Amino acid sequence: MMLGGHSTSPERFGTPILAVSEVSGLICSLLDDACLHQIWVRGEVTNYRDHTSGHRYFSLVEGNGRDSALINCAMWRSYASELRFEPRDGMDVLAWGSVEVYEPQGRYQFIVREMHPAGLGERHLMVERWKQELDADGLFDPGRRRPLPAFPQRIGVVTSRTGAALQDILSVISRRYPAEVVLSPTAVQGEGAHIEITEAIRRIDGLVDVIIVGRGGGSFEDLFPFNHPDVVRAVAGCGTPVISAVGHEVDTALCDFAADLRAPTPSAAAERAVPERRQVLRELAGCAERMEALLRSRLAASQNEVEDLRGRMHPRRLARRINERMQRLAEHEELLRRAALSRVQRERAALAEIRAGLAGQNPLAVLDRGYCIVEADGNIARSVGDLEPGGRVALRMKDGRASAVVEEITYDRDL
Amino acid sequence: MTETFEAMLEELRRIVRKLEDGDTSLEESIAIYERGALLVKQCEDLLGTAEMKLTELGRDR
Repeated sequence: MMLGGHSTSPERFGTPILAVSEVSGLICSLLDDACLHQIWVRGEVTNYRDHTSGHRYFSLVEGNGRDSALINCAMWRSYASELRFEPRDGMDVLAWGSVEVYEPQGRYQFIVREMHPAGLGERHLMVERWKQELDADGLFDPGRRRPLPAFPQRIGVVTSRTGAALQDILSVISRRYPAEVVLSPTAVQGEGAHIEITEAIRRIDGLVDVIIVGRGGGSFEDLFPFNHPDVVRAVAGCGTPVISAVGHEVDTALCDFAADLRAPTPSAAAERAVPERRQVLRELAGCAERMEALLRSRLAASQNEVEDLRGRMHPRRLARRINERMQRLAEHEELLRRAALSRVQRERAALAEIRAGLAGQNPLAVLDRGYCIVEADGNIARSVGDLEPGGRVALRMKDGRASAVVEEITYDRDL
Repeated sequence: MTETFEAMLEELRRIVRKLEDGDTSLEESIAIYERGALLVKQCEDLLGTAEMKLTELGRDR
């Protein structure tokens, strides 16, 4: 491996002669050290230039006089646009970034990604640390976010009773949708506000369908309680879906990341929390219209079906069948008539017979056979006891009457 | 009236879907249409008459 090395590397008195790029490369690799990357540096801004390109060039110095130190800094346009303040010479700042080498000019620079006024620097650092911890605990995982209810009946609001945020939320909701707003009042800034906010969230959790946690715009300092891990954990641990609305569009707080939805302002949060009444009414009208059209077409289809079936029933065949039935009915009627007639004849014959029988019973019939009936005093005489000697009797015979006188009465012996 | 607005709206959407489905009998279509028309009215009444209400939780636990 080292075979060719000796002959190709120039040297002078035993020390190798390096190319510029080799030295530059060494410097690069030496500076490529974790302790120079993603670091916070505190210093005073000097030589600040806001270049027309949008990039910012400046230096950070510490102390003045002999022991002073200076680092050249650059902040590229994309990061500079995120600046929340306008840096000026002499300003004490806290800058976050990495040391990089710019080989063409043999310079190293501190490339700044984020910068804050240093008075707040400590707090920014604290927020940064909290953010990393909370993120590591998975509280900012987008997969944790739950959908908001479409038609909430009760909307919880965790904010100040006197702040503009509450008024904004109330005016938006009253305009859009008839829901109940439940305020869980809390201080939203100042010492100990994070404890109150945490309590206010826990108190209202489960009592409403969705919760808006937030406040109106303010300084980083004002919004600070909404960065507190207690508040962030309360938001993340809330059983009810949470909309976070802290400050204005540009402001963010850590509780935004833990919420189910981040709204840029309290008004926007209210808009996201409830549907719009008019839109819902439109949907209802659409439903009603659609239902009616569907039922109409269903009725029309049924009507067609009936028509179709009627056609398929073949009226001629039906008429023939009706004819057949009529014929059979007529036949049956005739049979019935005949049956009734023969019955009458039978009855008549039976009657004649009875009459003949009756004729045999006629008492006058015996007169035909030579008998005669004796009447005394208008009554039929059945016994000689009914008569008396010398009495007058009438004899009734087949063809007339005769008058006679009784001469003698003789009783038969055995009477 | 214990039904929430969302449940009513969901039932209404189901009814529309069912009416769209040709398998529903005519009798049932008419019955669910009547139910749907009632739901529309109830929903509209609810939206039309109700007002936003504000209440406040006490701070005492």
